[in-house]
Amino acid sequence: MRCAIQTLVVLIFCAFLMAPLNSLTDELQNTVALKGATVLTAEGPSIPSGIILVKDGKIAAVGANVDIPQGVQIIDCSGKEIIPGMIDEHSHIGAYSDANEFSMPLGPENRAIDGLNFEVPHWYDAMKAGVITVITGPGSGERMGGQSVTIKTWGKDLKKRILKENREAKMAVNARDLSHIPNIRMKLIKAQEYREKWEKYEQGDKKGPAPDRDLALEALVPVLKGEEKLRVHIHFANDMMTFLKLKDEFGFDLTFIHSSEAYKVADEIAKRKVPVITLPLATRIAIDEHLLSGIKKLYDAGVKVALHTDHPVVHQKCLRLNAAMAIRYGVPEDAALQMVTINPAVSSKIADRVGSIAVGKDADLVVLNGTWYEPRTRVDLVFVDGILAYYRMKDDRGLAEVE
Amino acid sequence: MRNVKKIVLFMLAVVFLAGIVVYSGNRNVTIALKGALVHTVTGSPLENATILIKDGKIEAIGLNVSIPPGAEVIDVTGKSIIPGLIDTHSHMGAYVPNDLNEMPQPIGPENRAIDALHMGTPDWDEAVKGGVTTIVTGPGSGERMGGQSVTIKTFGKDLDKRVLKESGELKMAINGVNLSHIPTIHSNFLKAREYLEKWEKYDSGEKKEPPPVRDLALEALAKALKGEEVVRVHIMWAHDIMSFLKLKDEFGFELQFIHAPEAWKVADEIAKRNVPVICMPIELAINVPESLLKGIVTLHKAGVKLAMHSDHPVSPEKWFRMNASIAIRYGLPKEEALKAVTINPAEIAKIDDRVGSIEKGKDADLVVLNGPWYEATTAVDMVFVDGIMAYDRQQDEEMAEEGL
Amino acid sequence: MMPIPRKKTDHFRPVGVVLAAIICVAVLVLSLQFIQAQDRSIIAIKGGTVLTMAGDTIEDGTVVMWEGKIAAVGKQVSIPDGAKIIDASGKFVMPGIIDAMTYYGIRPFGLNDRDNPVTPENKVISAYYPFGKMMHGEKGIVKDNEILSGGVTTVYIAPGDQQVIGGQGAVVKTYGVDYQTFTLREPAAIDMCIGDPPKQPMGMGAKPPVTRMGIATLLRKTLLGAQQFDQKIKDFAQKSGDEKGKTAPPPRNLGMEAMVKLLNRDIPARIESDFVDDIRTAIRICDEFDIDLIIDSGLGAYKVKEVLAEKNIPVVLGTPTHPFVQGGEVSMTPDLYREMDDYNAAKLLKAGVKLALGSFGFGFGGFGYATQGRWLLIEAAYLTGYDVSDEDALKMITINAAQILGVENRVGSLEKGKDADVIILNGYPLDIKTWVDQVFIDGKSVYTREGGLK
Repeated sequence: MRCAIQTLVVLIFCAFLMAPLNSLTDELQNTVALKGATVLTAEGPSIPSGIILVKDGKIAAVGANVDIPQGVQIIDCSGKEIIPGMIDEHSHIGAYSDANEFSMPLGPENRAIDGLNFEVPHWYDAMKAGVITVITGPGSGERMGGQSVTIKTWGKDLKKRILKENREAKMAVNARDLSHIPNIRMKLIKAQEYREKWEKYEQGDKKGPAPDRDLALEALVPVLKGEEKLRVHIHFANDMMTFLKLKDEFGFDLTFIHSSEAYKVADEIAKRKVPVITLPLATRIAIDEHLLSGIKKLYDAGVKVALHTDHPVVHQKCLRLNAAMAIRYGVPEDAALQMVTINPAVSSKIADRVGSIAVGKDADLVVLNGTWYEPRTRVDLVFVDGILAYYRMKDDRGLAEVE
Repeated sequence: MRNVKKIVLFMLAVVFLAGIVVYSGNRNVTIALKGALVHTVTGSPLENATILIKDGKIEAIGLNVSIPPGAEVIDVTGKSIIPGLIDTHSHMGAYVPNDLNEMPQPIGPENRAIDALHMGTPDWDEAVKGGVTTIVTGPGSGERMGGQSVTIKTFGKDLDKRVLKESGELKMAINGVNLSHIPTIHSNFLKAREYLEKWEKYDSGEKKEPPPVRDLALEALAKALKGEEVVRVHIMWAHDIMSFLKLKDEFGFELQFIHAPEAWKVADEIAKRNVPVICMPIELAINVPESLLKGIVTLHKAGVKLAMHSDHPVSPEKWFRMNASIAIRYGLPKEEALKAVTINPAEIAKIDDRVGSIEKGKDADLVVLNGPWYEATTAVDMVFVDGIMAYDRQQDEEMAEEGL
Repeated sequence: MMPIPRKKTDHFRPVGVVLAAIICVAVLVLSLQFIQAQDRSIIAIKGGTVLTMAGDTIEDGTVVMWEGKIAAVGKQVSIPDGAKIIDASGKFVMPGIIDAMTYYGIRPFGLNDRDNPVTPENKVISAYYPFGKMMHGEKGIVKDNEILSGGVTTVYIAPGDQQVIGGQGAVVKTYGVDYQTFTLREPAAIDMCIGDPPKQPMGMGAKPPVTRMGIATLLRKTLLGAQQFDQKIKDFAQKSGDEKGKTAPPPRNLGMEAMVKLLNRDIPARIESDFVDDIRTAIRICDEFDIDLIIDSGLGAYKVKEVLAEKNIPVVLGTPTHPFVQGGEVSMTPDLYREMDDYNAAKLLKAGVKLALGSFGFGFGGFGYATQGRWLLIEAAYLTGYDVSDEDALKMITINAAQILGVENRVGSLEKGKDADVIILNGYPLDIKTWVDQVFIDGKSVYTREGGLK
């Protein structure tokens, strides 16, 4: 009997706590203030007892002394830490596949979003773990054309969740086949010629016939113009050197993905300001200590590093653990935070919307119950576009069994 | 009448003399090799020594050997002489065209190489040119238990005489690709032991019941258990070596390792059990790591008996000698390196009563070289097999010039 | 006869003898002192926070190691003269970490005999390769800096899980001068799997098992066969001498002999199973044949926690951050993903089930060897965010693991008489930034962090 009463009291207390937060799940724009946490904005020093004002789905204000308007709901976050919603620049979350291979032939006319499954529980689990924006798609081989989409892991309206449907050129290379590089180079040269041919035609009187269209080369033209990125799956240092030389020759905007050996040529990468999406892959794969220490080397050389999970290689929810491992292997804490927030945002050109806690950006916020990178720390609250998407006290299955 | 008798006698005499001439042409004459630096292998090298060959055997060896009249004296001043080289693991003559591995039969110890020898290949002559006079050749290492080899000289008119041993070791192969390899071999030895006990029971009994069914495979394995045959295992990794040593501990058979490139990692365990190692071919055809090359010396220091091998055609039989040279380069003492291509393989192949060193009574298998035996710049000048000159470089080169 | 006069020197004889005796004794005493002072075999780790895993935490504690064993543990421990002192002030001292399930050290890859679903005769120890880089290095067992850097001193190595019965696992230390020294228990268990991984591909001419029923039947048939094999041996043993001479003894069979060890409860069955129904099947079969059971991975174990507790069936969980079932990604197997519960460990512990943690470490193509065990402390830390106490989390990778693996008489806690497998960490073990500074196995330092990783 006593036990039952105690249970009831606890439940009522929890309900009391939850009541104000319930109203936050309302779709209508609400203004709310998060008060008292250590705020790590990812763009500057942390604010020890900061205030974040959220309004209309955006960050209205952030700082140590923020005026909270009358009547605004205040959520007490004392003792907590708040970081920006995390961003994974390379994932395959939601990809349909029974096997480990994702090679599905896609051309530039196909849309990645048509190839994704939004019913799988991974999206929600990712959001619960504080991963809010991902660049994902089903394809992972050597091909051209857009097969990825930049999308939030949560939101009632799927269309609104999409930030960008990407048209970047995606390549994969490994040094096993000597013909890979000459092939790529030929394609780039042909694309250049194609571009010049079309520009000549466009600028002319158009009396003669138009040049033949080539969809593959067409997809490369924006890359040559610098409007779209060239992202390449790459592991070995010698391949990276080759690609850097191609960049020198053609001048495109380049990003390396996986980049296992990038640290070996860190200075060459830094010199050309090529961002690198890389390891560690949490604790799943027993990567050599030298590779793990390489992240620090890249950081020291001035390379902009983003960490990725390559879900499902590592589950999307482990992005924070990736950052923790980077810290363990020597990367300063704030730099590691940037590797899962502002760095991928800048590299994938969405920094106007996400990547840091700054005025005008989306209110994607992760509230944690302790030091943000420690494995024992839990995510307590998640805001996506200013809406409370996850509240641990209410949602946690574990606590549902109160005996 | 008397004239006819004379003519007949005369003709008989002619025939008789001709016979002698012909016969002696085929028989081994007495040959004396004089003036060389002789590496007997079993003793210190002898400078300016004489070797007397008679009837295909070493008759005498020393500094002051009296040469009988009528002996053919060959002046080998300034040359070196070593025993004919012995290669304990080759596939020469056993792989053309496709007879190396009876792959569909993973356990086939009853298969015999002698049934598949190809004597027409020019490899034999090339081997002789390289100073290799005896080889143990046989099936490949594709199966777990491949079959029996043949110990044979590389030269000689009479094939039967060339064969020293028709069957030899039990050949096995193990590599750590599959966990079931060791239990398979283990189980087969257990079955062989049971087979042996069954037959021993029958043989010592009243033989009222019918005999047990014969099983060729188990019979071959039982020989190993009785110590009548050696188990020779083609093996790569240190942990596999450990597993096989444990099998030896359990069944007590006589064991030899072939290749065993990682043997040095467990040198003490190998030495403790007196298991000889027929080393990885380290002639330049194969890119073996430095650790392995240094490992040969580690094995020697631990007390392991070493023999080189060519694994022809993996490395050419002709350049077998180079294995020893490279081992010397990596620190193996010269005398040990010579042993590793002569007396050690002879002991390993159990033919040391006949070959492997230059000693009275042993076969006259000799290699005459025009410089230090281990140098790459040194050439083989002459090779004797069973006292017959199997190769003469000068003659060979003259014939080549004449386009023969 | 005139007496022969004594020479003058004779008088010095007794004196000389006494002098010599004094010198000898002095030399003896001095050399004894010298020997004692040089007695490096005694090592005392002083001043650290000692987590014994056998009771309370000892602040400013001392651990004395001698001749490979723990000689003393406590707060006020007298340290013998001449012992080498290691200052652990500001550090933490705990037992070497035990990885209760891994494919570490197995070379080359290819553990699973996919052609043959039942191979109890296979021994994983024959594929264990403690010699460092293949084809390279010096003679002898090699200290693997990578696994040692995580403080792992003992591992359970297993055959793969794509067979119904994969073979015999073993408990080995991550370093020892030879096989005898580093092998703690071999065979330590027979590894099995119930679920999807051991299924053979379907189609015409498919070999069993293609269903869970087939897997269970194969398991039961094998156990039945073992019972019959055992009976034959017992029958033969009971025959009179004469009778024994007439008949042949039952033929040896390595696989059956291994299975008989299960029947005699010399070793347990370790059955990898995740779906609760597979766990139920495992329990059912082990009940039928009265053999000891350990559940491996057990993603759905919380659903039958009472049964597991009641029957004293321990569970070795995989890493909570990324549960991985060989042959399939959990996140790609929707049914299995939905079976999972983040509070699995907490619920099991609360119900009284004994738990250990295994890395289930595997090699991944060219990316290194299966040394994921070096991050077990991180996995344990992760669990503490899911209602597992720090103490329970640490026990899962030390004493509980030792008990489950049957080697608790040797390792798992810092207690007098146990092996001196001790690690020193530069901070609280469950913090992400903490590193292992030094590792002792059998009382010898086998790894130091300053030594650097090669």
